[in-house]
Amino acid sequence: MSESISVTPERALAPKRAPDQPPGRRRRTPHVNIHRRREARAAYVFLAPWFIGLFVITVGPILASLYLSFTDYSLLEEAKWVGLGNYTEMFFEDDRFITSLKVTTIYVVVSVPLQLAFALGLALALDRGLRGLSFYRSVYYLPSLLGGSVAIAILWRKIFGTDGLVNGLLSVFGIQGPGWVSDPDTALGTLILLHVWTFGAPMVIFLAGLRQIPQSYYEAAAVDGATKLRQFRSITLPLLTPIIFFNLVLEVIKSFQSFTQSFIVSGGSGGPVDSTLFYTLYLYLKGFKSYEMGYAAAMAWVLLLLIAGLTGVNFLASKYWVFYGDTK
Amino acid sequence: MNLSSRKTMWKVAALSVAVLTAVTACGSGDGGEGGGGEGGKTTITFAYWGSDARQKLTEQVIAKFEEKNPTIDVEGDFSNWDSYYEKLATKVAANDAPDVLSIEIRGLSEYAGRGALADLAGKVPSADLDQQVLASGQIEGKQYAIPTGVNAFSMVANTAALEKAKKELPEDTNWTWDQWMTLAQEISAAGGVTGAEYNFNPAFLQIFAAQRGEKFYDGNKIGVSVDTLKAWWAIHQKLIETKGSPDAAKSAEIGATGPEQSLLGTNAGAMGMWWSNQLNALTKSSGSEMTLLRMPKPEGATTGGMFLQPAMFYSASAKSEHSAEGAKLIDFLVNDPDAAAILLSDRGLPTNSKVLDVVKTKLPETDQKTLAFIDEVKSELSPIQVPPKGALEMEDILKRNSEEVMFGKATPDAAAQKFLTEANAAIAG
Repeated sequence: MSESISVTPERALAPKRAPDQPPGRRRRTPHVNIHRRREARAAYVFLAPWFIGLFVITVGPILASLYLSFTDYSLLEEAKWVGLGNYTEMFFEDDRFITSLKVTTIYVVVSVPLQLAFALGLALALDRGLRGLSFYRSVYYLPSLLGGSVAIAILWRKIFGTDGLVNGLLSVFGIQGPGWVSDPDTALGTLILLHVWTFGAPMVIFLAGLRQIPQSYYEAAAVDGATKLRQFRSITLPLLTPIIFFNLVLEVIKSFQSFTQSFIVSGGSGGPVDSTLFYTLYLYLKGFKSYEMGYAAAMAWVLLLLIAGLTGVNFLASKYWVFYGDTK
Repeated sequence: MNLSSRKTMWKVAALSVAVLTAVTACGSGDGGEGGGGEGGKTTITFAYWGSDARQKLTEQVIAKFEEKNPTIDVEGDFSNWDSYYEKLATKVAANDAPDVLSIEIRGLSEYAGRGALADLAGKVPSADLDQQVLASGQIEGKQYAIPTGVNAFSMVANTAALEKAKKELPEDTNWTWDQWMTLAQEISAAGGVTGAEYNFNPAFLQIFAAQRGEKFYDGNKIGVSVDTLKAWWAIHQKLIETKGSPDAAKSAEIGATGPEQSLLGTNAGAMGMWWSNQLNALTKSSGSEMTLLRMPKPEGATTGGMFLQPAMFYSASAKSEHSAEGAKLIDFLVNDPDAAAILLSDRGLPTNSKVLDVVKTKLPETDQKTLAFIDEVKSELSPIQVPPKGALEMEDILKRNSEEVMFGKATPDAAAQKFLTEANAAIAG
């Protein structure tokens, strides 16, 4: 780099050789540097839009939200500095904040393992060299694309409504089902089900992982007389742990940030009786309905730390159960 | 890499930067609408919420205004109800508030109190407006908002459904809550439709509390007592028990939606409580004839507790650079018969007596009914109260705590205490 600085502008513009002329020995080093420099400049020009985007649309607002989290900011007036006030209120005075943490934790703890188990089960079933595999794969992947959408959430509300599809089916067997989405005891369950239903993304990753396990292991095990179950436990599962870990980390992060489902299914209130009050939904209500944007910003930072902490714990714990073939 | 391809690369880079700059320039150009506009025209923005039908009417009325004021260009900024305040608050925060905006009484203190609204006294002529209603747009002597029209929260009954159950339309000047509940139970029992649909609208509680001599907002505090809340919830619970209304889950499900999906709107119920300007939507979606009735009372109550409330207000942003043009638009909307001839009762019945005289005959049948009803009960209505800051949250707080009682998650005593704590915190904060 230091050499390139010594190149004068005049020389930088100079080399207009025919492409077939071999470069002179003496001029070679400066030429390569000019070349590099030009390429670097071009690269920065190309990157500029993303850099500008990064600083103006991402880093700037992130820093602003950090500042706002220490203020009382109603959106309509200037922000007033309150120090750690938002944070202490959150943990010591706000019952609904604790409720939203509880609801979200239950949602994550129940739905993520269920979803992963489902995805793995289907991946195993599809991995048997089924005809039209790509068709099935697409069909099962579809809910992943749609699951977070408003349309599906509305559909969910209809399916699990008092006079919905589910109760219609139950009534065939003479069972009078509850209003699944409007009963506080079952509302969260329907959202968990919605999340489990979007098993497509982890399933596709599981499928790819299964393909990487050498067939020879299974053959050797079969020769030794291992049953299918034994093969699954001793070959498939251990070799798949890195993939399971990857999916676990991703899904935990994703489901802590779930918003659309509860927003639409509960009509934006987190009801009935706060049973579907997701963390992000409460954050939104605080910011835009109660005009406490500072508090909402503080909540966003707590969520960030929470997710970072959980991901760290996940990584630490992975040492004890994830098996990387090459390290042992 | 040879020279020519390097040149191309630079060209591509330069082009992409140029394109991006152009795109961002367009974006910011769109935002700064304060400018003079083309041909010496002044552009002002007008924000409002509502249904598609309202959007069409508003576009028409804007066109009429522009026709009469060729130098002013009005840009309608329409959003649906759910996202209206989010959008408005964000725009105010970004110093990009609409010049003229719509607001309802519950949001008035929030926005006026935080200095977002301009004082319209003397700027918008208001002599012909109903002065009592006009006062509802005043806070501490300043006219922050001009009411668009009036409403009353009333009982709505489906006449045909009552006939089918062989019940007569109740005599509403002196009917009691007990009579109402019995009627609902009997209609349900007759089969066909559900008797009544309950709700947790703060307006319902406000009327109920007033009948017991309590104010919903008493200064900067909630004036409703624990006993009143318990008595109010007892009505809901009794309706559920006697099957006069659907169970808690079903009610929560319907309650999450508007008049079109309600029991009345879908011809599945005989009675419900709605704002009088929702009579149109209820009639249209059900195709049945509806009648407005006074709210029932407790036995021996001296006041009916009902009140007249502006359907919404027009306000102007405190930071508008075109306040004169904005005031002109508001003046046109509330004082010009041409505007009223288009809008009719969409934003409540006009309160300008002169305008009302002109459009009276043009009003559709349902509106005539509403007008007759409001005229009839007007003398019994209590004066309008402007709720304090935080009133926008009241509906959610009341609903949440009410549902806890209905679903048996909390005792009425505990829920009442919790409601009072949360509600008082909301208006204090």
